[in-house]
Amino acid sequence: MIEVANVSIRYGRGIDAVDAVEDVSFRVENGGSLAFIGPSGCGKTTLLFGIAGLLAPIEGEILVDGTPVTGTRREIALILQNAGLLPWKTVWQNANLSLMLRHEYPQRTAETVLRDLRLLDVRGRFPAELSEGMKRRVGIARALSMSPSVMLMDEPLASLDTLTRERIQDLFLTLWKEHRFSLVLVTHDIEEAAFLGETIAVLSERPAQIKEIVDNPGMGDVDYRTTAAFRETLGRLREVLER
Amino acid sequence: MNGRQEASETQPRGSRLWRGLRHPFTRRVLTYLVSIIVLLALWQLTSGVVHAIKGRALLPGPFQAFSELIRSIAEIQHHFWVSAGRLVLAMLIALGLGYPLGLLVGHERRLDQFVSPMIYITYPIPQVAFILFLFLVFGIGNAVKVAIVAVALFFQLLVSARGAAKNISQEYITSVLSAGATRRQVYWHVLLPATLPDILTSLRVSVGLGMAFLYIAETSAALGSGLGRFVKGSMYRPALASAGIVAMAALGLLLYLLIDVLERLACRWKYTQQRPR
Ligand SMILES: Nc1ncnc2c1ncn2[C@@H]1O[C@H](COP(=O)(O)OP(=O)(O)O)[C@@H](O)[C@H]1O
Ligand SMILES: [Mg+2]
Repeated sequence: MIEVANVSIRYGRGIDAVDAVEDVSFRVENGGSLAFIGPSGCGKTTLLFGIAGLLAPIEGEILVDGTPVTGTRREIALILQNAGLLPWKTVWQNANLSLMLRHEYPQRTAETVLRDLRLLDVRGRFPAELSEGMKRRVGIARALSMSPSVMLMDEPLASLDTLTRERIQDLFLTLWKEHRFSLVLVTHDIEEAAFLGETIAVLSERPAQIKEIVDNPGMGDVDYRTTAAFRETLGRLREVLER
Repeated sequence: MNGRQEASETQPRGSRLWRGLRHPFTRRVLTYLVSIIVLLALWQLTSGVVHAIKGRALLPGPFQAFSELIRSIAEIQHHFWVSAGRLVLAMLIALGLGYPLGLLVGHERRLDQFVSPMIYITYPIPQVAFILFLFLVFGIGNAVKVAIVAVALFFQLLVSARGAAKNISQEYITSVLSAGATRRQVYWHVLLPATLPDILTSLRVSVGLGMAFLYIAETSAALGSGLGRFVKGSMYRPALASAGIVAMAALGLLLYLLIDVLERLACRWKYTQQRPR
């Protein structure tokens, strides 16, 4: 479970200080999913880095599974905006980076994850030799390799073409239902938020504050995109964003 | 009919040769060969022009140099390996100290605030100015010759490692930190591999710079061995001196090639980018 209470995050101090997140509170139950949507530069990445333990809030508290987050933790996985692959490591090395850094050597599970994501054949390639879609899948493989209980995703599908994006969204939905991790996703794309978020929190301009929480009970199926409920959620999100 | 058969027989052979010539490795070797031949021709030309103007063969040509090289091969070989050993040792010392220190200064902002001014003050001083003190500290043996070259290259590598470390995208660092990396692991998995191509480029520059400093070091003392000493000592036998210079060029070329091979092995990821999918 993720519990975030009255969290504010600020960069720098004194007159150069930038307030990026202000008084944000929410909770995600085990196996739940929450999508944040907001304009670029509003503080989405900052909020996610706070939950990941990469940035310390100046106020408030972040708890994951009941314990305060004070640094990175093995059960909290983060997928970065551009997949965060290291160009000098192969697909196999990138996918197993978290395991390797913790001196847990890649086991059969790692191979299974790569096979499920259809990456086993390209395990020896470097990121520069991959298509954009493959790169995102390697980023997902890296996150899954630790069997995390919390998955944080920073606009994981930005800059992909529509078809690839929807395919990876479908894949991700399947993985979420199968692995039952708690998901927090940030995005500026309303369709992505409506497809992957059980609830959707709309953020204001910087500093990010929660403007409104929109329920999205119909989600959870690959065919959801074609339903009237999906279009209704999109309409609702547009309305709140434009306010 | 006969002619046609001939044509279909010779054509594939011709194109196979053509394809062979276009292979990247063959092409590299060929370009090297062609440029060596052009260089030798220019040398011969210059030597001839000097002869024509001055009426005497002042500048030995490539034929004299190479026949002298073959005649004195045993002696030159000895000096070659002495110089090669000094240069490589100095490069390794400079790399071993300058590279990690440069990464540390480039990455740790607090340390940089303190160390940068020291670099700015000392870097512009021509390192030749330190030679006197190095002789005082290291005497006149082998050690001082290695030290002079190492000092010069140390600064060069320190400055480029620091610059390369500062240029690393924060994205890579965040990526390994979020995967649970410790500080030491950030160096090993990001800073080192990300800066290696730049450092190897800097090492190539170091070959030329190191040769110049080695010459100064070897010729500062009246005695001893090494190619610098050999060339200066052969002042009154120009053909022999030019043979020594050819040996220096060979040493430089050998080191360049060695660095090339190293780069292909250590930075394999850089060489796959040209052919995606
Ligand atoms: N290291 C930093 N120092 C100062 N300001 C920053 C830093 N990182 C981000 N910011 C600022 O904080 C705000 C929020 O950034 P970010 O969380 O990356 O936005 P988003 O992910 O929503 O696009 C932006 O205005 C950005 O300029
Ligand atoms: Mg962002």
